[in-house]
Amino acid sequence: MKSALIFLALGLTAQAAEPVTFLRDVAPILNKVGCTSGPCHGAAKGKNGFKLSLRGYDPEFDYQALLYDLSGRRFNRSDPARSLMLAKPTQQVAHGGGLRIEPSSKYYQTIFNWIAQGVPYGDPAKDKIASIAMEPATIEMDKPGTETQIKVVAHYLDGAVRDVTKEAVIASNIPDTADVNTDAVVKGIRTGEATMLVRYEGKFGTVPVTVLNPQPGFAWKPLPQNNYIDQLIDAKLKRLKIQPSPAIDDAGFLRRVSEDLTGQLPTPAEAKAFVADPTPSKLKRAKMIDTLLARKSYVDHFALKWGDLLQNNRKFLGDKAAWEFREWIRDSVATNKHYDRFVREMLESRGSTNDNPAANYFRVTRDPKPTMEKTTQLFLGVRMVCTQCHDHPFERWTQNQYYEMTSFFSGVGLRPGFESGEEILFDKRDDFDVRHPKDDRVMKPKFLVAATTASLAPVALPDGSDRRKAFADWITSKENPFFAKSMANRMWSYFMGKGIIDPVDDIRASNPPSNEALLDALTKDFKDHDYDLKSLIRTIVNSRAYQAEITTNEWNETDTVNFSHQTPRRLNAEQLMDALTQATGVRPDFPEAPAESTAEAYVDPHVGRDGFLDLFGRPARDSACECERKTDLALPQALNLVNGKTISDAIADPTGRIAKASIAGVSDRALLEELYLSTLSRQPTAVELDKGMTYLRGGESRATRAQDLLWALVNSKAFLYNR
Amino acid sequence: MHRLLGTAILSTIAIATQFVPLLAAVETPSYYRDVRPILQRNCQGCHQPSLKSSGLDVTTFADFAKGGRRGPAFMASDAASLVLKYVKGELQPVMPMGAPPLPKDQIDSIAAWIAAGAKDDTPAEAVDTISAAHPPIYSQPPVIGALAFSPDGQTLAVAGYREILIHKADGSGLVKRLVGQSERLNSLAFSADGKQLIAAGGSPARFGEIQVWDTAAGTLKKSTTLTNDTVFGGSITPDGKTIAVGATDNSVRILETATGKELQKIGNHENWVLCTVFGVDGKRLVSVSKDRAAKLSDVASGGFLENVNLLRGELSAIARKPGKDLVVVGGEERVPYIYMMDRPKVMKIADDTTLVRKLPRQDGNIAALAWSGGAKEKIAVAGLAPQVNIYDPETGTMVAACTGHTAGIYALAFNPAGDRLATAGFDGHVRIYSADTCQLQKDFIPVPLLVSRQ
Repeated sequence: MKSALIFLALGLTAQAAEPVTFLRDVAPILNKVGCTSGPCHGAAKGKNGFKLSLRGYDPEFDYQALLYDLSGRRFNRSDPARSLMLAKPTQQVAHGGGLRIEPSSKYYQTIFNWIAQGVPYGDPAKDKIASIAMEPATIEMDKPGTETQIKVVAHYLDGAVRDVTKEAVIASNIPDTADVNTDAVVKGIRTGEATMLVRYEGKFGTVPVTVLNPQPGFAWKPLPQNNYIDQLIDAKLKRLKIQPSPAIDDAGFLRRVSEDLTGQLPTPAEAKAFVADPTPSKLKRAKMIDTLLARKSYVDHFALKWGDLLQNNRKFLGDKAAWEFREWIRDSVATNKHYDRFVREMLESRGSTNDNPAANYFRVTRDPKPTMEKTTQLFLGVRMVCTQCHDHPFERWTQNQYYEMTSFFSGVGLRPGFESGEEILFDKRDDFDVRHPKDDRVMKPKFLVAATTASLAPVALPDGSDRRKAFADWITSKENPFFAKSMANRMWSYFMGKGIIDPVDDIRASNPPSNEALLDALTKDFKDHDYDLKSLIRTIVNSRAYQAEITTNEWNETDTVNFSHQTPRRLNAEQLMDALTQATGVRPDFPEAPAESTAEAYVDPHVGRDGFLDLFGRPARDSACECERKTDLALPQALNLVNGKTISDAIADPTGRIAKASIAGVSDRALLEELYLSTLSRQPTAVELDKGMTYLRGGESRATRAQDLLWALVNSKAFLYNR
Repeated sequence: MHRLLGTAILSTIAIATQFVPLLAAVETPSYYRDVRPILQRNCQGCHQPSLKSSGLDVTTFADFAKGGRRGPAFMASDAASLVLKYVKGELQPVMPMGAPPLPKDQIDSIAAWIAAGAKDDTPAEAVDTISAAHPPIYSQPPVIGALAFSPDGQTLAVAGYREILIHKADGSGLVKRLVGQSERLNSLAFSADGKQLIAAGGSPARFGEIQVWDTAAGTLKKSTTLTNDTVFGGSITPDGKTIAVGATDNSVRILETATGKELQKIGNHENWVLCTVFGVDGKRLVSVSKDRAAKLSDVASGGFLENVNLLRGELSAIARKPGKDLVVVGGEERVPYIYMMDRPKVMKIADDTTLVRKLPRQDGNIAALAWSGGAKEKIAVAGLAPQVNIYDPETGTMVAACTGHTAGIYALAFNPAGDRLATAGFDGHVRIYSADTCQLQKDFIPVPLLVSRQ
């Protein structure tokens, strides 16, 4: 070996460069330029034989793929510029992903230097990121068109701080309101609010952006505030220069609240009486709310929602168990069983499903993995599905946590019982370990987060504990950061058409609440009342925000997220069928349902299957997702309303409302009033009366003309929507 | 709408302005300097050998000139050349597809070069400064992909960057440097008589090469380039007349050693073929692939005989027992399997009667296997775990574990006597162990390293 090998002409510019590590410097580049994206090498099977972890969630895996695959084919320490990992993204050799890195760029130089320095991985205790911070933390713009630069700063475990704005991935959750470009400049597009979601190396952050209305002439006109909900909503509206809509009239309120609490229209007599009642409106309404909450139809309506979410279905459970599970749910709603107990009874259930119907919770999903996914989505609003295969791309949940959480349920055993359709739920004594699919290691149960708001670190469960009891303790704890919040949010959505976090069962840092103070207050209230669901409902429906008109003014017409007005919500399939029953006076007859049963009280979606109810979006109960129920009104539904047999037959039925009225010989005016009250829950206006009477008297066959009027009424938006 | 249109006009103006200074420079149009970079950046994603969209490949001048299914991409001095029509949008779809159109100055560059006669001015050795007279200079040790002891046990061949380094077998000195074109050599194999050394490799995503060296003279007797990527796992028949390699086009290529002539292209695999080994008589061949299969083929006809087996992970290494048709295979599953090449009885579907033994699971994916000769045979297993495990093939028990590595091991070689094992890989060191005890005999960096001036 000749010692005279002192050459300078190397073309390497790395000697004086700063030390480069994979963790700190190179991995962020791979994520930023798109190498690790889903359609490229981050795909489940990689691309063209080269696989990286999705969005770089597993830097160790990516390091190995880049350096060790095929005996180190992708880098060249002897001549860094000839490295495949540089030649490909600069398109010096053919690259299906095209040009990703300019040879003259800083990124190229960083990767080059890293190879020239011997591809160091970096020290996870130093080079990993502790947190990211954004400046400014919130943005408020006076008017659309304003631009603001965001700066993203990474704090490393060793205390180092670095500006990573260029490598951070920033996206807007509502680009129509405020958008962001690749230079991290946020631009207000129109009045409203949006959130910038910032992502950098597995850390997430948000920057709320408010674009104020620049229009002159806004003067806040205070409206009555019924409770803390209105105070918190108004506080935000005032800042955003949004004038809320006032409360709806008594008739409209009664129709809305009856549908929302009981799934039924008020009867014509109730509708008349409520408007005529001289009690002050606020008091009258509060009393009506209590009346409705005490009705059997309230039990039907909320048992239906729980039946959906808990997937009560004879397909999974058989006849007897489905009816028993239904009775258990109904009993829980009827006795206003507090929410924590309701959940705990299911999670801790044991023994025969005949004796303990709550155990059917485990019969629907059976395997521990879907049971865990269902449990977290339902009761925490946290979706773990994607972490089965990889870390959550937009949250801090990891693949390890998926299996740690699953192991809380892996001891659940089911065996046939003594009677047909009965199963016995027991705790397995062995062979219930959950293993990680990557390396087969046993995953011990570990909570997703500690049950305290002070620390979010996951907590391991001591060996030998009763796993399901421990889980039930943890999930129902008032310290659990998700349990009460997700229910408060879900309940809110039932009355306002939209969650404060929406979708309601997808709570994550990148899906922020539209009014955090409001959600916090509802959550606290719910906890302070020991998870009393009726109390929570009562508070929501007594608010002015709930009772607001759907009609907007010039200041709130574009607002869709701040609850400055109510939103029309199409009646659910079952509500619609029951409303038609009242309107026409004819109840549909399904052999599987008890006589006189409302659609809201049917045991499962097999009643009247493939008919009107399914067309109007009744869920098949195949999923615990709130999204399984559809409430759209598209062409198939519209055609059914116009031409369908369900409606036309009911209207023309010889035992129906019109036939009865004709036989009783009611006057035209009385008939019109009855039709309006039974469909729209209000009296006809003078103009409506006038036109209606003219039509009724316009020719022969008064009954057919009355049927036409009824048909027109049930096809109106005022009937089809809760508004 | 008005606003959008305005923006579009503005940005057009901005682009035009930006390139005015470039247009001002008047030079003879050049393929190498002007056109090739445009093609490289904008067209090669699709028009490359492995995709050949529309039958067109623009990675070399010759292929570009040949054109694709719609005819030659250009004709000298023809302003109506296909490539111009496509980039100008006169033919649909506008190229580059799914991307913004080329800036006007780039279209002008291509047009000017065609107008000036469309000459190929690629320099003969575009940038190459490395040759036998100027061997590579190393500032860091290269990753080592292959090792081979000469049949006389005197020397150890080590794959470096652009060269093979011939060391004394005990690591006591560098004897010779065989400098070639390939950046990576994935396998080294001596002919039985030791007169020839076969190296298989190439430059990733550029070309594959098989080198045949005259070991005595240190000269390259034959270089055969094939495919557009490196080739893997080269092996040579006992008579030295035939070579086999695996390729990234999923084929196994059989070549005549003397002429480099391709005798067979065997296309039985469904993914990259990473290693090959001939049977004792050289008439049959086993190849392993990323498709998880080890396949037995007839060398003379190229015909498929059978799957040795179909395992659960990608296969990357294979070695044969000296003098007998037994092989050991390994890869992603981390378990080395010993198989017979011949069936003891008639095959039933998915039977496993050819399996002799499974060796214990390794801590990392397997990248290299070696089967020693000598009085007491051994199998060495290496891969991404920084440790080589040595097993007794007769019993499957571990004999010894060779430690001292800092990262993955990609190359293994037993000396002919079977008492020494050489290892190398990621860290660029060559380590020589006593094969029975794994006692480290020598640890050296096989390349001359640049002495820093500091």
